[in-house]
Amino acid sequence: MSDYLDSLENESIFIIREAYSRTKNLGLLWSMGKDSTVLLHLVRKAFLGNVPIPLVHIDTSYKIPEMITWRDNYTREHGLRLIVGANKKALEEGMNPGMGRLTCCGALKTQALLDTIKDHKIQALLVGIRRDEEGSRGKERVCSPRPESGIWTYKEQPAEIWHYYNMHVPESIHLRIHPLLQWTEMDVWEYIRRENLDIMPLYFAQDGKRYRSLGCSPCTGTIDSTASNLDEIIEELRTTKTGERAGRAQDKVDTYAMQKLRSGGYM
Amino acid sequence: MSMESTGNLELHKVVVVGHVDHGKSTLLGRILLECGRVPDDRIAHVEKICSDKSLQFEPAFLFDALQEEQEQGISIDTTRVNFEFDGHKFILIDAPGHLEFLKNMTSGASEANLGILVVDGNQGVRSQTERHLKILSMLGIRRVIVALNKIDQIKYDQTKFEEVCKRTREIIEEQEITCEQIVPISALAGENITTSTPKLDWYVGKPLLGTLIDTAQKLNNLKKDEQPFRMVLQDVYRFEGDRLFAGRVVSGSISVGAEIFFSPSGKISRVEAIEKYLESGVDSASAGESIALRLSEQVFVERGEVISLLDNAPEIDTEFRGKLAWLSANSYSADAEYTLKMGTAEVPCKVELLDPATQQKRTTDSEILANGGFADVIIKTAKPVAFDRAATGAIIEKFVICTTYDTAAAGVVDNRPVRVERSLKVNPNLRHESGYVERLRYESLNGHRGAVLWMTGLSGSGKSSLAKELEKTLFAKNCRVAVLDGDNLRFGLCADLGFSPEDRSENIRRIAHTAKLFLDTGFIVITACISPYAKDREVAREIIGAQDFNELFVFCPLEECQRRDPKGLYSKASAGQISAVTGFDSPYQAPQRPAVRLDSSKMTVAEEVEAVIALLSQNEVLPAEHALTTELSEILRTSSGPRSLQAIND
Repeated sequence: MSDYLDSLENESIFIIREAYSRTKNLGLLWSMGKDSTVLLHLVRKAFLGNVPIPLVHIDTSYKIPEMITWRDNYTREHGLRLIVGANKKALEEGMNPGMGRLTCCGALKTQALLDTIKDHKIQALLVGIRRDEEGSRGKERVCSPRPESGIWTYKEQPAEIWHYYNMHVPESIHLRIHPLLQWTEMDVWEYIRRENLDIMPLYFAQDGKRYRSLGCSPCTGTIDSTASNLDEIIEELRTTKTGERAGRAQDKVDTYAMQKLRSGGYM
Repeated sequence: MSMESTGNLELHKVVVVGHVDHGKSTLLGRILLECGRVPDDRIAHVEKICSDKSLQFEPAFLFDALQEEQEQGISIDTTRVNFEFDGHKFILIDAPGHLEFLKNMTSGASEANLGILVVDGNQGVRSQTERHLKILSMLGIRRVIVALNKIDQIKYDQTKFEEVCKRTREIIEEQEITCEQIVPISALAGENITTSTPKLDWYVGKPLLGTLIDTAQKLNNLKKDEQPFRMVLQDVYRFEGDRLFAGRVVSGSISVGAEIFFSPSGKISRVEAIEKYLESGVDSASAGESIALRLSEQVFVERGEVISLLDNAPEIDTEFRGKLAWLSANSYSADAEYTLKMGTAEVPCKVELLDPATQQKRTTDSEILANGGFADVIIKTAKPVAFDRAATGAIIEKFVICTTYDTAAAGVVDNRPVRVERSLKVNPNLRHESGYVERLRYESLNGHRGAVLWMTGLSGSGKSSLAKELEKTLFAKNCRVAVLDGDNLRFGLCADLGFSPEDRSENIRRIAHTAKLFLDTGFIVITACISPYAKDREVAREIIGAQDFNELFVFCPLEECQRRDPKGLYSKASAGQISAVTGFDSPYQAPQRPAVRLDSSKMTVAEEVEAVIALLSQNEVLPAEHALTTELSEILRTSSGPRSLQAIND
């Protein structure tokens, strides 16, 4: 084993297999974005081509429409089990980013996620977050226990020594398991290229614009870019001086926006 | 379990440790800034926070991203970032300095293979400086670079620098860690980190990052001995009917066709294929790889086993010595039942504290083991567990101790044996008196040579049945034969012995000497006792003499032994009425190269007898004409019936 991507892959597979072996009702939180699609590929690798766990998508109804079309085609084509979760009550009451971006994220993403976990009795979720995305994710553990309220007690996280993850938890606790935590944005793209993965076309530039990070349409902007294939995206990342989530409006609502969202149970 | 790749990976994981406020996060932030990989918007974000707080730009905030961390100017939890300098890739791990966050520090440091110790030039060595070094030493980190920080505050003074260096070197050496270099720096001002500064014209070494690269290269160039193969079993998958043994190679390598051994179950199989998704024809796998094995002979094993090659297995035991760092706010309790996690095994255990001076069990609880404390311990497990000791190439040696839901301590297996050897003193005035008749003359009278057939195997594996059948067959061939049945000897010769490891050793020693006496008069001696410890069987081999010692491994899967349970031992053990039952809550260390391996779950007693007679003929214990005739073997086959019936009558 000589390649850095190989070592990341092996590590992630180890974590995924630990999660599958040690928890009941494991799911994979899938946003159809590049990270969770890499995670899905790693699940296939861990289980020798099988996907023995359901995918969970939290639909805010504000997703970029192409994402939903792509999602449905992809799951049909690969015969994947998909659970779509949504906060129907909040949507009926007209929740939208105009009522406050963080309020909207809290209702349509965090609450919808927690309801879905409860409704489907999911004990653990594989989540494709990475440390280099933003500061609060940098402080995460591979295995993060959450009570029913979803809160992240970042000031009192359990010890996580060597590869001994704390996956034995009381029934009221669910686990967020982060097999990509040590990957960087660049690693993800290089891996997508190496493995030749089918990836959402929105990442590739059209008319001088592309999405670097995907989310809800009202809060996610494009960047100026001419990178229309994987080689060009990787080349662009080598030289960029802009952060990955620069196009994500909710991060900028206040100084500690992501920490606040995430301590409330956001992914 | 250490799972860092032992391949030629160039990437090093560097943990930055040191006392509170000595400048760890500032140094890390500075390194990131100097290497220019921080996005502009992240710098702008930190600039805004600092200006809101009327602070000078604080590089530490690039790492300490939590609001509480920035407001209090501390690191609460560990984080890590990738960085590249001069073509070399590193992962930098930030570790909080406060004692109350020691579990977070250890969580970060456990992944590292190199350390940077930050020491404040003003303050010198402080309590967490020492504690962090102890943790690094325990985690197996053998090299550190010292960043002697705040050199600007001591006015670049060489004398003051040397003073701090002296004490720093001392405490590093105490932990048996190599101090690669002490580099004077200012993290805040960014001096002597990437480039040297004229203010430190007396300093002869390279700046910090240059030193880091040199040290990393030194680590890369270290010639690593080929380590034995170890794979931890995570799960057994049954996709589309195939049984696939999934896990991670921790050390060494494995090839298709290799004979493998499972610990602690003692099962054996052969690798038919190494499976990786989207890769076909994988013929070998090495350290770090996550793989799945397809086996040519099906075995029933579960998560927790360690897979090795047949002739190089880990130790199996129910107790071992260890060194612990306690990381929980809840103090240690002697009565508590903890869980040991070793490899992928999880086993209930008790932890006994030892007095560091005498290495005996502590008699008083006067000293409390609490967060940040270190202790030498003996771990006693409820079930056999597989591990390595440094002497045998430490691989499966790192473990954690957990309460129901939390990790309470991190530990490493200690090299020293847990049991005290019984001292046997022979009076120097004694001398050995030879008999009148030599062994050779007995043997020529008997018409065969003497030998010891040393059976080993679990209770219920069929040793006694085979011993009886062998006795019958050999007697029918006019051989002088004696059976030493372990249970029978415990009525007399060994009536004073129990089932502790020490007593079991003594039991074997006495049986071996008895066997030797028979051997000296030309007997074929059959011993039937579990003899679970490899070490004890080695002692027996020595007493008897290797040329006369034939180890017969009577193998039978534990589940089958439990089903047979001829003496009711397993059901009593399951009901908690008795303990120290081999294979159940007491270890069985299977022989890796026995003279014969007899699988009693698959062979009839007659077939086993045939195999042993063949062995005796081959070793010329029996003359050629004594070799089993087809007719005799046919009679034996029909008379003894299948093994299962035999076992019920046992």
